[in-house]
Amino acid sequence: MSIFTPLSIARSALVAQQRALSVTGANIANVNTPGYTRQRAVLSPVGEGEAGGVRVSTIERVVDRLLDARELRSASALGSAGVERDFADRVQALFPVDGSNIGTALDDFFSAASELSTHPEEVAVRSDLLARADALATRIRSTAQGLADLQRDADGRIVDSARDVNPILAQIARLNRSIPAADPSSGANELADQRRQAIAELATRLDVRVVERPNGTADVFAASGAALVLGDQAAELAAEPTSDLGLDGSALHALGVRDAGGGVIPLAGPLGGELGALQELRDTTLPDDAGALDAFATTLRDAVNGVQTAASGRDLDGLVGQPLFSGTGAADLAVALADPRGIAAALSATPGDNANALALVALRTTEFPSLSGARLGDFHGDLLAQVGGRARDAADRLTVAENLAASLSAQRESVSGVSLEEEFTDLIRFQHGFQAAGQLVAVSNRLLDDLMGLVR
Amino acid sequence: MVSRVTTSLLYRELVTRVGRLQTRLAAANDEVSSQRRLREASNDPSGAALAARLQGEKADVGAVRSALGFATQVVARQDLALDQSDRILARAREIATLTANGTATVESRQQAAVEVAELERGLLAQANTELSGRYVFAGLTSGAAPFASLDDSGFDPLNPYSGPATPFLVRSGPDQTVAITTPGDQVFEPAIAAIDGLRVALAAGQAPTASIDELDDAATVLRAERTIVGGRARRLSERDGDLNAVELNLEKRLGTVQGADLTESISRLVQLQTALQATLEAGRTLQASLLDSIQL
Repeated sequence: MSIFTPLSIARSALVAQQRALSVTGANIANVNTPGYTRQRAVLSPVGEGEAGGVRVSTIERVVDRLLDARELRSASALGSAGVERDFADRVQALFPVDGSNIGTALDDFFSAASELSTHPEEVAVRSDLLARADALATRIRSTAQGLADLQRDADGRIVDSARDVNPILAQIARLNRSIPAADPSSGANELADQRRQAIAELATRLDVRVVERPNGTADVFAASGAALVLGDQAAELAAEPTSDLGLDGSALHALGVRDAGGGVIPLAGPLGGELGALQELRDTTLPDDAGALDAFATTLRDAVNGVQTAASGRDLDGLVGQPLFSGTGAADLAVALADPRGIAAALSATPGDNANALALVALRTTEFPSLSGARLGDFHGDLLAQVGGRARDAADRLTVAENLAASLSAQRESVSGVSLEEEFTDLIRFQHGFQAAGQLVAVSNRLLDDLMGLVR
Repeated sequence: MVSRVTTSLLYRELVTRVGRLQTRLAAANDEVSSQRRLREASNDPSGAALAARLQGEKADVGAVRSALGFATQVVARQDLALDQSDRILARAREIATLTANGTATVESRQQAAVEVAELERGLLAQANTELSGRYVFAGLTSGAAPFASLDDSGFDPLNPYSGPATPFLVRSGPDQTVAITTPGDQVFEPAIAAIDGLRVALAAGQAPTASIDELDDAATVLRAERTIVGGRARRLSERDGDLNAVELNLEKRLGTVQGADLTESISRLVQLQTALQATLEAGRTLQASLLDSIQL
């Protein structure tokens, strides 16, 4: 063993402790950085036998890959549940339980019809019935418009999401290019953290499957198996107008991957995440609600017009009644009758006859086959329950998804997060290691001095 | 349960707990201030459907009670008119009795005929009784009077009625109606014919012996109708009482479905406030760190 060996060992120790201190410093600095994975300097002995030193063999990210994968899946479920909850609440707002909802407007309409049956010749009562009919039609129309707006919003968010996802895919591809070329000391770990963050953000938008390659790159696939990122190549998502029309009559968009020829190959199957939820809402849930509202509106229209235009029905001028409601569904339901004298309250030309007005009131308790045997009021009540139940289920699902995501995040944080107490302890540990190595230098120096003194 | 607690985990859990408590606190606060448990359908989906049904039933009961209120006014007006008509017939019978005996002269009978003509006009006016412009003995029609005037050139005492032959029906329940008028010819034609016969006989200076029986028969018809009207009034009142009870019951049930139990709601609000304060207080301990205890 050379006289300089202790100095050499001390030097390696100083360098290693210094590097470990800098890793601890980086951990402390990033204690509040979202998505940061704590790093650890792995020290290993240098050389063989008794004359070795120490070196930092690697700076590793402390991760649990299984937890990472589960967290990605939970991010997708959370994204989906968040969108479902948001839209369920917005649909629910279209069907309020108090104030001026469709049910209240329907009750007011039948109350006015009942008043007409008592005062069939009073123009003021007739005008009130027309006003109530108009209020009911307006409420139904605005609810239908609200549903159409929500569907358009869902479609718009699908289009926006496609635009938002592309930069994320490009970023993942860019990081895939940089990571293999970098080493841990030159920021490879930080790049891996950035990529993980980008993939997590992508997972909230749609279900993804990540395959990590030995060279450090990560390929990303959609739930359908379509490749979104392969190495340093990112696909481009695009939303193209289709022939399917929305509730507002405008074209809806289909999400797909743009191919080399500039065409768009639709993403098959459920997308998962926010996009999957938006697609389900746009294509199934909202059209179903609008369909139920349409059934209600057309049943009301046909039933009221049927009474109004009965062959023996007579208005105040002794003429056969004209339809009270016009329109093809909920979206364009309107009052067609302008003159209150035109309401056919009678079933004969006898002034004061209220028989047809009584028939109009009787619609309140009529069970309609077009509403699966329900009465108009009960059908609206059932619609309220359906919308409310969905909102509650969506809230419950969001709570479950949040709890699961929080639990997984806590577990990941437990493995990969920075604990200041731990880092401070490491700081002391490496500081003392550094001080000890310094003492070794001092002792080696004194030994050399003593040796030189012998020579003098 | 995590085995290793990190700094950001502590803060994140604190923020999550505070956020959840604040959300629940806001909902509890809303419930207390609105005093409504059912503020949106998701609070109780089946309750929302039930509340909509109960609201519809309550509105309909209100509409039926309004119709019954109007019917009660009509029946009261009919009763008053029948009472007046009965008095008119009683006076006509007095005149018939006085002028039927042998002491009455032709002149006194002709003078009595003038009073009887006024009584006849009065009877026709009662038969044409209106409520807000609608004839209560003619199916509540409006417009031309159902009974012709004595002064009309073609007045036919045996057929003076031109109103509808059907009664007017009002709603007495969700699917029920009740007749509140009787066609005027069935009520007044015997009386009009009898009093007109009396007038004609007296005007001719004849003893109106036949008119007394006719007047008695007509009075019987009027009194029978008055009994019917009285029965209608009683049934309307009873039905309104029933519906009042139904309305109160519906309000009670609505209150149960929609309303908040304030004692329970306020207790929950206080509990949540305490929990939030305790959580925030616990958050202060996060400020402690190993850094406070060691000297680097």
